[in-house]
Amino acid sequence: MDSLNPPAERGRGPLFYIGAGALLATMLVETVAVIGRHLRLPLTGALELVQVAIVPAACASMLITTLRGSHAAVHLLTDRMPGSVQRQVFRTGAALAGICFAALTAGCAWLTADYWNSFEQTEVLHIPFRPVRVLVTLAAAALALAFLQRAFRPEKKS
Amino acid sequence: MSGPLGVVALLALLALGVPIGIAMGLVGLVGLALLIGPEPALIKASVVFFESTTRFELGVLPLFLLMAHFCFAAGASRDFFGAAACLVGHRRGGLALATIAGCAGFGAVSGSSLATAATMGQIALPEMRRRGYSTAFAAGSVAAGGTLGSLTPPSGALIVFGIIAEQSIGRLFTAAIVPVVTQTLFYMAAILLVCHLRPGIAPPSPRISWVERGKAVLRVLDLAALVAIVLAGIAMGWFTPTEAASVGATLALGLCALRKRLTREAFCEALERTLRTSGMLYLVIIGALIFAAFMSFTGLAEQIAALVHRLHSGPTTTLFAIALLLLLLGSVLDGLALMLLTAPILLPIVTSLGVSPIWFGIFFVRTMEIGFVHPPIGINLYVMQSIAPDIPIGRVFKGVLPFLAADFLHLALLIAVPAMALALPHWLD
Repeated sequence: MDSLNPPAERGRGPLFYIGAGALLATMLVETVAVIGRHLRLPLTGALELVQVAIVPAACASMLITTLRGSHAAVHLLTDRMPGSVQRQVFRTGAALAGICFAALTAGCAWLTADYWNSFEQTEVLHIPFRPVRVLVTLAAAALALAFLQRAFRPEKKS
Repeated sequence: MSGPLGVVALLALLALGVPIGIAMGLVGLVGLALLIGPEPALIKASVVFFESTTRFELGVLPLFLLMAHFCFAAGASRDFFGAAACLVGHRRGGLALATIAGCAGFGAVSGSSLATAATMGQIALPEMRRRGYSTAFAAGSVAAGGTLGSLTPPSGALIVFGIIAEQSIGRLFTAAIVPVVTQTLFYMAAILLVCHLRPGIAPPSPRISWVERGKAVLRVLDLAALVAIVLAGIAMGWFTPTEAASVGATLALGLCALRKRLTREAFCEALERTLRTSGMLYLVIIGALIFAAFMSFTGLAEQIAALVHRLHSGPTTTLFAIALLLLLLGSVLDGLALMLLTAPILLPIVTSLGVSPIWFGIFFVRTMEIGFVHPPIGINLYVMQSIAPDIPIGRVFKGVLPFLAADFLHLALLIAVPAMALALPHWLD
């Protein structure tokens, strides 16, 4: 856990329902597709539906993990540091993460703008890719904000 | 020089507690910017980010996690241990044998070493202590048994390796079956040997009637069938690994309902835990892919491969050297960081020596598993201590030693006989 004042367990918010809904939808579509294939009633474009359904699940899961401070980190040195140094190191890590995701947001926005008029869509069901690109860009921006907020938020008084 | 500098920068960031995915992504992004310019670097990293979030193959991870959480909610861990304990608990060291068997069973539905050690530890450790087992031996057997979760298909570590190395996840799962079975047998042999040499450390438990044993076995039949359907389905080509994860999760949900364990809270808890772990894995994989792109531009792997060729060291010597390197690095890095840092560098080296990438995946995860129980930072050892804080860490280290010896023997056998991993996928092709 890379938590700096790890947030208390909160109630399940919209991110949970988006992620969980997308995950269950993926599960359902693939299961129906497998059963259908073996009954010779194939579900047309199942792969494309899964590809689109997994995006909100991935974006929501990364945001939930970030907000809960549950990212994997190595604590060999930091666990042995004094509390104040440890907090500074965590803040620096969060700031670096924020910068990294800010750069990725810029890159994703650039790509989205580049492909905006190319009308990307899936082959069978013709699902447009524009909303997917926008969603991924927004997720990168939200991750950048979440990390930067963690880096610069005032310390709680104990 | 950019390759080694990148690795050093990454290790420094990891040591400072920067999240693994961020550290890899950041070093990859900055490294790419220095090598190919900021604009192409930004585009390359963003393409990796976009493709990773939209890649349906990556959906296999959250769905297998969901299956594991539904199985956990259905009481899988307790039932697997219970069945094994009923069958062999009356023998000397029987509960330790049951722990290993329970870990192998639960590992098949959890896919994670940490989860297996933590879950089985809460069930098996108090039971063994209650029956008068040596605390060191009891903790050691759970810590070692927990490692089975990493290799037992459907394994999270193999899925991550398959994605990073662009190898078939189905073939990796099939290749893991014989090594997992032999690893389990090696652990059981270690238990029997230790109990033979020091009978006092693991007294026998009362014998249970055959009716009771039959009931305990019946309780895990549905779980065993679930694992069998998922693995057989992948091996026989009934469905792809991603589809297997979905089918497995659906069956696990049904099983949870049939066992009357599916409450609204259990359902939401399983989904929430799945999302939280998936988010962590997504970030790590995206970071690793950006780092791997940087590494491919540095040519570090090719330089090391050329050095290995110049030294005329054959595959076996190289593999022993790699095992040693992984064990040394595994003493300071956690398994996932170790895999993501070294796989992009080591894989081209071993494939240039004619080693199968599928076999290397099994070897890699097997070595990584040893790191989970290898002092001084074997994470499973600390999991045991967190479950039973009154057992000093030194006793846990001592207890795991016979299993470490079995691990090293098993790893040497895997290197000497690659068919252990490759025969089954080859036969099924």
